[in-house]
Amino acid sequence: MLRQLQAGVATLVGPDLRYGFINEQMRELVGPAEPGQLVNEAPGRLPPVLLEMLPRIHATGTAHTAKACPCGPEHCYDLSVQPYHDEQGRVAGLLLMAVDVREQEQARQRAHELALTTRHLDARLRVLTETAPLMTFTTDAAGQVTYVSPQWYRFTGQPPTADLTAIWPLLVHPDDRLRVLFEAEAARRTGTGWSFEYRLRRYDGVYRWLLSRALPEVHPPDAPVFWHGALTEVHLERELSEARRRGEAELRFLADSIPELVWTASAEGLVEYYNQFTIDYTGLTKEELGPTGWVGLLYQHEQAAAARRWVQSVASGEDFEGEYRLRRHDGVYRWHTIRARQLSDGSGPRWFGTCSDVEEQYRLRQVLQTQYDELSRAHHNLDTFVYAASHDLRQPTNNLRGLFEELRRSVTFADPEQTQMLEMVDTALTELDSTLIDLATTVRTQRQQQEPVEVLDMTLMLEEILLGLRPEIMQRGARIDVQVGEAPGLRYSRANLRSVVHNLVSNSLKFSHPSRPPHIVLRSYLTPEGEPVLEVRDNGLGMHLDDPAHPTFQLFARQHTHVDGTGVGLYLVQRIVSSQGGHLAVTSVIGEGTTFTIHWTTTDSPA
Amino acid sequence: MKHVVYLSRAVRPLTDQDLQHLLDQSRHDNARNGITGVLFYSHGNIAQLFEGEDAIADTLFARIAQDGRHSHVRKLIDKPITTRSFSDWSMAFHPLATEGFEALQGFLLPHHIPPAPSSLPIADALLVELVRLAVFGPDPAQPYQHTLPSAP
Ligand SMILES: Cc1cc2nc3c(=O)[nH]c(=O)nc-3n(C[C@H](O)[C@H](O)[C@H](O)COP(=O)(O)O)c2cc1C
Repeated sequence: MLRQLQAGVATLVGPDLRYGFINEQMRELVGPAEPGQLVNEAPGRLPPVLLEMLPRIHATGTAHTAKACPCGPEHCYDLSVQPYHDEQGRVAGLLLMAVDVREQEQARQRAHELALTTRHLDARLRVLTETAPLMTFTTDAAGQVTYVSPQWYRFTGQPPTADLTAIWPLLVHPDDRLRVLFEAEAARRTGTGWSFEYRLRRYDGVYRWLLSRALPEVHPPDAPVFWHGALTEVHLERELSEARRRGEAELRFLADSIPELVWTASAEGLVEYYNQFTIDYTGLTKEELGPTGWVGLLYQHEQAAAARRWVQSVASGEDFEGEYRLRRHDGVYRWHTIRARQLSDGSGPRWFGTCSDVEEQYRLRQVLQTQYDELSRAHHNLDTFVYAASHDLRQPTNNLRGLFEELRRSVTFADPEQTQMLEMVDTALTELDSTLIDLATTVRTQRQQQEPVEVLDMTLMLEEILLGLRPEIMQRGARIDVQVGEAPGLRYSRANLRSVVHNLVSNSLKFSHPSRPPHIVLRSYLTPEGEPVLEVRDNGLGMHLDDPAHPTFQLFARQHTHVDGTGVGLYLVQRIVSSQGGHLAVTSVIGEGTTFTIHWTTTDSPA
Repeated sequence: MKHVVYLSRAVRPLTDQDLQHLLDQSRHDNARNGITGVLFYSHGNIAQLFEGEDAIADTLFARIAQDGRHSHVRKLIDKPITTRSFSDWSMAFHPLATEGFEALQGFLLPHHIPPAPSSLPIADALLVELVRLAVFGPDPAQPYQHTLPSAP
């Protein structure tokens, strides 16, 4: 019978307690102990406390039980020791029984630990809900508020005795109240959670925007009984996004009222917004235009290049700019400057683009270009004509002079008046010849803008030029002062310098005042900006400078009809100086004299 | 017929196995449904162009948009076409381990993507080029480090 027991059983026989019977289960506890062995010699995992007690139990004859007794590191037994008696009623031995309670014990231990953990969790939850910067709450299925965290009282300034269910709706902003009640009610009815924003009155009477989120506590299959939720202040975020929305709306309004195509694109280069004018111009909807549809509006064979440039801009962040023909709703293409630039606002980089109609400018430019081409062609032809004509005319002039010389030599005129006439014819022929030479020179300098430039010694150059004018200087008794100390050298073309100075000086000589001998001052100096200048000042007749369009320099414009001259000179000077990047200034007082100032080179725009 | 282009973000980075699985699954289904096109993937950025019969393309987009593997699905274009521009369906990405992938049907290394077919209008070719740039960055031979700003 003892063998069938689910408990371990052993007998300890006699006062010295030797093992008697040991059943199978008891072996787990006492190990390989043999019947007849002293229990103290083979205690197995019997706990020492029990071993100590055994002789006493034997002696007193009182039974002993120990609950959940740890035996070795992994086992746990309910142990009971009972004396048994012989026929004489004396204690004959002890009956040891052990029930393995390891599992019960473990379960009990677990339950204990669970309880501890729960307590911890509970404490943590409480600390968290009461310290987090948000208010938490619980309502039941009927909408009764059953819990709010202390933050709610702090925020609203309500006393702890407040009737939450009654007071709460009164604290919601009147404009939000119905909506809030409706949405919360709907969520409770359908057993779902909610998430909405509304304004709640703070302790100081100010309404602040809050985000209310709640979820039902569900234990399927039952319908939810409680909703737990939290309120977070979102006032600043709300105001910011409100401001951003307002900013965006204002921007849109502006963009929509501008008679230009305006668009914005995401960082990836995908157009997200086209303004109203784009819709009107193209006759396409935003959907039809799509994120890249603009490229399809360009001239067919310009599309691919424009697309490549856009991809390149998006990849590198570089500005996009180009001139393209853009199709209007009626199929007409008009030239536009398309510009786009990447800018960053709060929500990351975006592209802002415009297409400005430049059709008129483009047309104008084309007209101007055509006119310019025509003019420069005409100009060129004219030059060629003048050159050819002057060249061709010189030959007959020379012949005429030759013939005339011949005539003079072979024929004798008796009348002295006739001699005078002969002289006049001679003078006229000489003048004709020099005019023709001047004309040819003028058009030649046109083509000689590439004259070699070298550093010229002004003293030598001016001396040489004045030497060439010696007959006229002598004839008129002119005094000439040369002052080159301030700028003795000049980088210029030798031939051009000679033409300029020669013309100006001979001009001064030619237009000298009849009542005084000419006095001409040539002065080479540097402006404060370091630019070389030559001043040619005379005390001659002076001239009219009224016409703002430089009449002085017009071809053949003659200031003084009573003085010999071709009028080509000043024009030539002007052309040479400006062709070399310089400019010519003139001041004059009638009857007192004229000063020409030659700015050989100019960095700023000519005066 | 129509074609659809969208951009999206993977919920978490897709592994080589995830990508291969997606490639196998989609290639098989697409061949059966007459869907052609191309998908780009890099560092969680996804873009896809697919073309097919209207009804099939619509259901496919609805299915893809619901797929939990990605989010922020942004449809960029959805418009009728007269001819297909892609002969089959393929996927371009940088596997961590390239071996084995190169032999795979329908797999492309990002810098081996052929230029947009000429049957595509330039506006659409530009769109494909821009989403490719958005997924792979300026140099498709290099794995892309930049991530797109999330959809507005
Ligand atoms: C980025 C992405 C692209 C996908 N592309 C396709 C595709 O082209 N064709 C396709 O059949 N499924 C595609 N899928 C898979 C579908 O979303 C879906 O998982 C698949 O069609 C199986 O759908 P089912 O489970 O509803 O049958 C894609 C999924 C993801 C995440």
